[in-house]
Amino acid sequence: MALQRIFGFSTQPLPFSVAQASQTENHIGQFYTVPASHIHTLFPHGLPLRYQQQIKTFNEACVMIRQPALEVISYLKQTDYNKPALRYIFYGTNGSGKTMSLCHTIHFCYTQGWLVLHIPDAHRWVKNCKELLQSSFNSARFDQPLQATEWLRNFRITNESFLTKIKTKHRYVWTKREFTEEGSLLGELVDQGISRVKSSSDVVGAVMKELRLQSGQSDAAFRLVVAVDGVNALWGRSTIKKEDKTAVDPDELTLIHNARKLMKNDWNGGAIITTLSQTGSLYSPKLSYRPQELLGQVKRGFDCMDPFIPVSVPNYSEKEFESCYLYYIDRHWLQHPQSHTEEGKKELIFLSNRNPWMLDKICAFL
Amino acid sequence: MASYSTKAFLILGRINISRSRLQNATNRATYVSVLSMNSPTGNRASCRYQVGVPRTEKMPVDQDWTAVYPSAAPFRPNAVPLPVRMGYPIKGGVAPDKKANLELIKIPNFLHLTPAAIKKHCEALKPFCTEWPLALDTDAKCDEHFPIKVQTTHFVSAGPSLRNPSARIVHLKVKLSSLNLDDHARKKMIKLVGSRYCKKTDILTITTDSCPLRKQNYDYAMYLLTVLYHESWKIEGWEAEKTVADMEEYSWENSPSQRNLLDTLTRMKVVEEEGGEEVRQQLLGQAEVQEYKDSVTRLKNEGENEDTLLQYKEAVKKVLKL
Repeated sequence: MALQRIFGFSTQPLPFSVAQASQTENHIGQFYTVPASHIHTLFPHGLPLRYQQQIKTFNEACVMIRQPALEVISYLKQTDYNKPALRYIFYGTNGSGKTMSLCHTIHFCYTQGWLVLHIPDAHRWVKNCKELLQSSFNSARFDQPLQATEWLRNFRITNESFLTKIKTKHRYVWTKREFTEEGSLLGELVDQGISRVKSSSDVVGAVMKELRLQSGQSDAAFRLVVAVDGVNALWGRSTIKKEDKTAVDPDELTLIHNARKLMKNDWNGGAIITTLSQTGSLYSPKLSYRPQELLGQVKRGFDCMDPFIPVSVPNYSEKEFESCYLYYIDRHWLQHPQSHTEEGKKELIFLSNRNPWMLDKICAFL
Repeated sequence: MASYSTKAFLILGRINISRSRLQNATNRATYVSVLSMNSPTGNRASCRYQVGVPRTEKMPVDQDWTAVYPSAAPFRPNAVPLPVRMGYPIKGGVAPDKKANLELIKIPNFLHLTPAAIKKHCEALKPFCTEWPLALDTDAKCDEHFPIKVQTTHFVSAGPSLRNPSARIVHLKVKLSSLNLDDHARKKMIKLVGSRYCKKTDILTITTDSCPLRKQNYDYAMYLLTVLYHESWKIEGWEAEKTVADMEEYSWENSPSQRNLLDTLTRMKVVEEEGGEEVRQQLLGQAEVQEYKDSVTRLKNEGENEDTLLQYKEAVKKVLKL
């Protein structure tokens, strides 16, 4: 585990290093740096867009330690991995830090050596699909080759080390001449999917199935964390249209169908961490943020995820706001002379209502 | 005393139009104008209209107000001893005062309905009323003995016709708790009446206006109530097809939530499937499972808020032994 530099606020002027695994409640509000190598492997996709720009600007990735992420990490430390996978859902208003909490938790799992199956934004799979193929495996379903290949590529980058170790337990036949034997490496399966774009959605399904089956076994070399951002997309509506202009039900998409199977807790040896997101969601009211509102009572989402542990992600507390404000000042991000005064700080609090996204937007350049 | 500039008093007499044109001169004479009093050379016979002291200054404090305004009348600034102001404030000032204020005259006023006036009305009506029964001294007793409340409006007006079509409307209000309904009958009744039932106050309101006479509407409303009551007690054959979507409230038994939980618990304990039913009963009997059941039921029935979500979270943590 690499040691990371901690960025404290004014009561602790000197930065000191705390290992990722030993972050406790005392560190709430402080920042810790994620090493650049981790960013490239773990987060080829998955970080919010504005945060990626911030990383490029500041040349470092500092994540604030906040209570929701710490809570889930503490549960992860306590769980018994012989039991079925527990499901956690981060929920909160727009821009309150759910995706960042998810990334923080995934980073913890990564540093512990787990296999990370990260679906960066499930909403992207139910809208703006340029190519829709009819699935060869099940003719009632539809494939999305572009999204599937993109995801497989990123999955390969993240879990490079595991691909050479895990072996498949089943035999998969792709076309008349191509098949993957039982016992071949997972890496080969993934390469197959990336090179043969047509069958990539089915490869995604196969990968998910393999990992699910193998993770709980006693001889498994890994623990699996399934992280989905925007899990309410799996049970929502989609804007993709079939050729006869009728809407496609998410259930008819292979990727969504397989992801839903992952969400069930019928496998052991890992955890399922998800967030709800209203921002990218389709046909949901703007102010809804609670689990039932977004997962849908009628649309089976809540019943599928039940029992889960809902974790609320609120706006910044006073301490966290202080910390973020001082971080921006330290990075010379707040250039305006008035922003360094008490007045300016009060103005920032008022304008952003301590909402992290809003604060970022206000402090950004025009 | 008010000073005059030029004031013209228009006095319109009853002019007979059938007169010939030669009389035009007399018509013009009906206008009498009072010229400025300051000019010593007043041509016309000076009819001085002296404006007297306004009545407000002569009013004693303990006067009988009902004599000033015995019935609905427009606002008279000289008869109302209040320094009211009304209207858009002039520039750099306040609203215009009551003298010659058209705004105050336009609006309806209730100066004829002061408490003193109402008292007089009540005293006048008393000979025509009967005594309130002494036994009904609280609202609760009234509700108990007279659960059905009928509201009608009677109109009195002087016009070309004495009738008012709005007088036929009858509102019938009754609390469902005062009717003898069991669980099934109550749910069926609420489904039958739809929006006429208010959940907060438990009052069913039947409004009838389809018949031309009040008596007919009243009979119709009573008939509707009777029919609703009897129909809701009947159980039809097709009611057995009631689905989960038709249910009014969430019940945890046989719900997907219960199935999921039992599934998870069985897998957690790695219990064999043989003693299926007993194991199930045993699992269901645990306190944590009951707590979980309460929290899910509350979440679904009451809706989500921080409270219910927190309770759900704690219950899940306990059940899954975190």
